[in-house]
Amino acid sequence: MATETVYDQILYKEDLSYLKKNRDPIIKWTLFVFASIATIFVFLIIIFLFINGAPFFAAVPLNDFLFGTNWLPTAGDFGALPIIVDTLLVTFGAIIIALPLGLATAIFIAEIAPPKLRKALKFTVEILAGIPSIVYGFFGLIVLNVIIKDIFGLHYGNSWLSGSFILAIMALPTIVSVCEDAIRAVPDYYRNASYAMGATKWQTIRKIVIPAGMSGITAAIILGIGRALGETMAMLLVIGNCKTFPEPLTNLLDCVAVITSTIAAGWGPTEQGSLEQRSYLALAIFLFLMTLIINTIANLILSRIQRKFSGERSKKRFSEFRESKLYKYMQKYKQLLLTIIISGLFILIPIDFVSRVIGVSICIGLSFLMYIRKKVPQNKKKWITYGIIIAFVGWVLSTWIGILLAITICVLILGTIYVIRRISTVSQQRLWFSIIYLFSLLAVIIVGILVSYIVVRGFPVLLEPDFLTGFPSDNGREGGILPAIVGTLELTLGSIAFALPLGVCAGIYLSEYAKNNRITKIIRAGIDNLNGTPSIVFALFGFVFFILFFGLGRSLLVGILTLGLMILPTIIRTTEEAVKAIPQSFREGSLALGSSKWQGIGKIVFPAAIPGIITGAILGMGRSAGETAPIMFTAVRSSARWITFSLFEPVMALTYHLYRLNTEVLDAVDKAAGTALTLLILVLLLYAFAFIIRSRYEKRKQW
Amino acid sequence: MKKENSGDVFLVLKFKNKNKEKIRNRYNEYNDEFVIETKELNLWYEDNHALKNINMKFRKNKVTAIIGPSGCGKSTLLRCFNRMNDVIEGCRIEGEVLFKGENLYNNNADIRINRKKIGMIFQKPNPFPMSIYDNIIYGPKIHKIEDNEILEEITENCLKRAVLWDEVKDRLKDTAMSLSGGQQQRLCIARALAVEPEILLMDEPTASLDPIATQKIEDLIFELKKEWTVIIVTHNMQQAARISDYTGFMYLGELIEYGETTQIFENPHQKLTENYITGRFG
Ligand SMILES: Nc1ncnc2c1ncn2[C@@H]1O[C@H](COP(=O)(O)OP(=O)(O)OP(=O)(O)O)[C@@H](O)[C@H]1O
Ligand SMILES: [Mg+2]
Repeated sequence: MATETVYDQILYKEDLSYLKKNRDPIIKWTLFVFASIATIFVFLIIIFLFINGAPFFAAVPLNDFLFGTNWLPTAGDFGALPIIVDTLLVTFGAIIIALPLGLATAIFIAEIAPPKLRKALKFTVEILAGIPSIVYGFFGLIVLNVIIKDIFGLHYGNSWLSGSFILAIMALPTIVSVCEDAIRAVPDYYRNASYAMGATKWQTIRKIVIPAGMSGITAAIILGIGRALGETMAMLLVIGNCKTFPEPLTNLLDCVAVITSTIAAGWGPTEQGSLEQRSYLALAIFLFLMTLIINTIANLILSRIQRKFSGERSKKRFSEFRESKLYKYMQKYKQLLLTIIISGLFILIPIDFVSRVIGVSICIGLSFLMYIRKKVPQNKKKWITYGIIIAFVGWVLSTWIGILLAITICVLILGTIYVIRRISTVSQQRLWFSIIYLFSLLAVIIVGILVSYIVVRGFPVLLEPDFLTGFPSDNGREGGILPAIVGTLELTLGSIAFALPLGVCAGIYLSEYAKNNRITKIIRAGIDNLNGTPSIVFALFGFVFFILFFGLGRSLLVGILTLGLMILPTIIRTTEEAVKAIPQSFREGSLALGSSKWQGIGKIVFPAAIPGIITGAILGMGRSAGETAPIMFTAVRSSARWITFSLFEPVMALTYHLYRLNTEVLDAVDKAAGTALTLLILVLLLYAFAFIIRSRYEKRKQW
Repeated sequence: MKKENSGDVFLVLKFKNKNKEKIRNRYNEYNDEFVIETKELNLWYEDNHALKNINMKFRKNKVTAIIGPSGCGKSTLLRCFNRMNDVIEGCRIEGEVLFKGENLYNNNADIRINRKKIGMIFQKPNPFPMSIYDNIIYGPKIHKIEDNEILEEITENCLKRAVLWDEVKDRLKDTAMSLSGGQQQRLCIARALAVEPEILLMDEPTASLDPIATQKIEDLIFELKKEWTVIIVTHNMQQAARISDYTGFMYLGELIEYGETTQIFENPHQKLTENYITGRFG
């Protein structure tokens, strides 16, 4: 090396005062303004909903609303209990169906599948999460309901059963991916320790991996419930919307109504400012609160998992609570407490006397059984579990034939389990794996049938000369869907153009500039919760705020704003996560060279976070393109048959077109299938694109 | 990167710096013996008292080593000198850190000017996720050097001084993340040199380097101290003895002993220091 002294390359100005002039404050304030606008919108949604719903609660006693059994707003009857109970029943049924399938698929993907297959499956699952709900609705209406009608010899196939089944398919991707993440998060040394003791793979999964991943699996179930609760369009099409209890309460084939579908079906024709209109807002508030609780619980569990495996200590306040006497008492008597609460609910809700007695006695019986279960010796315990299962299944079917059937099924299952216990561990593993294969295969087949039905039925339509490029005529029975395609593109691009700048600025501000104080936490919580809020709630907000409050008409603009607000929370959160994932050492390295804070963020952190942000944005676009409810009251009009580029005119959209072809125009199934396929292709391409970007980026990432 | 005459890479620059003398004086105008001085420095992370009453003076044009067991607060102390602890939430500082007689933690003190003058090399290599070339010119660009020719000069020069040039001269446009750990650390050194700090804070700069590169970095430190000041944290006792003029020994957030390196290593006054240096510890 040349023996130059260090002086020889001095280039820097002596006067460093240029460093004092920096743009940081300006940028910070700009970001702050954007973040405030985003935050204000987020909270405006909540506030507007409550303000507009409040007069309802002033006029109608809460008791009548929550426990009344008659829902007929036009006649002044606002008893929402049947709707609430129906919602719970449908959701419950969905989880019963989805959980075994989802868990088995997750175990298969995480533990059994070879790496290549695993990747492919994971990718598929993630993309499937994007199938628009109206497509599920279409499938349910045309295929599932017909099957149910024929099998059971009913007049209509619209039923609790088909609702639960459709919801189960919809919740599957969520459940599979969260379960899979939970199972993957279990560190490998757990498994290795188990193998080292000579355990088989199945024993390791059963005794080590699943228990360790249990809280994640719980979170998956809760998130699945949240997803199911918020589903509107599919429910609107398949469950029949009768606002009564199933008769009897266990009749899977009776038609039901859920909160979301009730709102969607009833909102349109209501008179502005009437109590009737406000009653739907009240339902929306109720739904919002329900999802709020559910999402909060799921988030708490998920963040606890993160802490558990990253070795952080749990929060002080919580551990103090754990030490307290109250908590210990609650632990001790939780079963009794639960029994009293649930029995109380059964007594309070005004169902018929028989259902009430059955409910209470089953509740008490169950809890008594659980109590005994604790007392009996270990090796007898399982019999009680099986007894409970039999009793439960019997109750669900609740006719003599049903009980007989249930007993047969249970005896079969018990017999198999009994046999399993007697055979070698290797054969056990083989048996269990077969069950897992079977369930995963079943999940794949169900989803496969759905997709292939639409492809097979829709593809020929797509090939029709005028379908993609023509205009509809005769209410969509003839002609093409060009206006709907253009409308969907306009809505999607418009909503992302609105939400992306706001969301990205807000995300950067929140993660880089906002102090980590209580206000930030509240904002973050608000955003998180809107992230899981059902789209029908956004739909009502869009209508109340833009159309009633600002007096805008149904138009592209209002649709864009409503959809934009719906995806805004997602974009804020993904931006925040993407920016947070960039190591602190980059920021420090930049600061240490004398850069300003913004220089470091703008030149290093933000570019590194761009792939993550783009992924979020494309997912948001996919969601925008696939949603029906938010545009139903705000942006579309049935008569909009032409292409418009004006922001102030109503448009047509693929989702809404498909909805119309399923409701108003019943004899255009082929055109509907073609529309569904177009929509599916559009949305799934967006999703696939997003995940490809993400996996590319994760491969390249080296910090 | 068209330069072939690596023997005299500063030719162009020399030419451009007509008022070299004036610039040379810039580093010498502060004639006191001590450039950095801490007074009753205390630091807390939340309620962890990480630095306790540190009083320490760092001499100009000398290499000062800070040694001590892991977790005793060496990095923390070093980070106080260019206010890197400001970005850590829940970190609280009391006391003064004087740089050329002015308190760094004074409200009037401009953090960025001081950071330009006080460079830092971090314990874990932290190259930016961009090309090697962009990494080096990141600092100069921040400080308003826009001329491409000069930027290329700086790159070549700094990479040579950090003993990395030969390994990367053909792949300057590759991403820095593809370098090995040791190469990354040398890149970070080159990046810090590129803004020409007057003081260089080094947090275990050779921890991830092989003996040859370590030797080169130590040579570089010798070179640097002719004009600049180096404060180095190291776990390597021989290294501290080899390169430093002064050594401070820290233990549990306190400065136990501070003095000339020969004195610390040959004749420590404190029992703790002796135990640590001779390896009879804990
Ligand atoms: N960002 C931080 N937040 C909270 N505590 C910290 C942080 N950084 C360091 N500490 C704590 O401060 C104390 C001193 O840490 P420091 O990193 O200065 O030690 P060190 O002497 O550099 O150790 P090593 O030789 O391992 O690098 C430790 O107890 C550490 O846990
Ligand atoms: Mg350290």
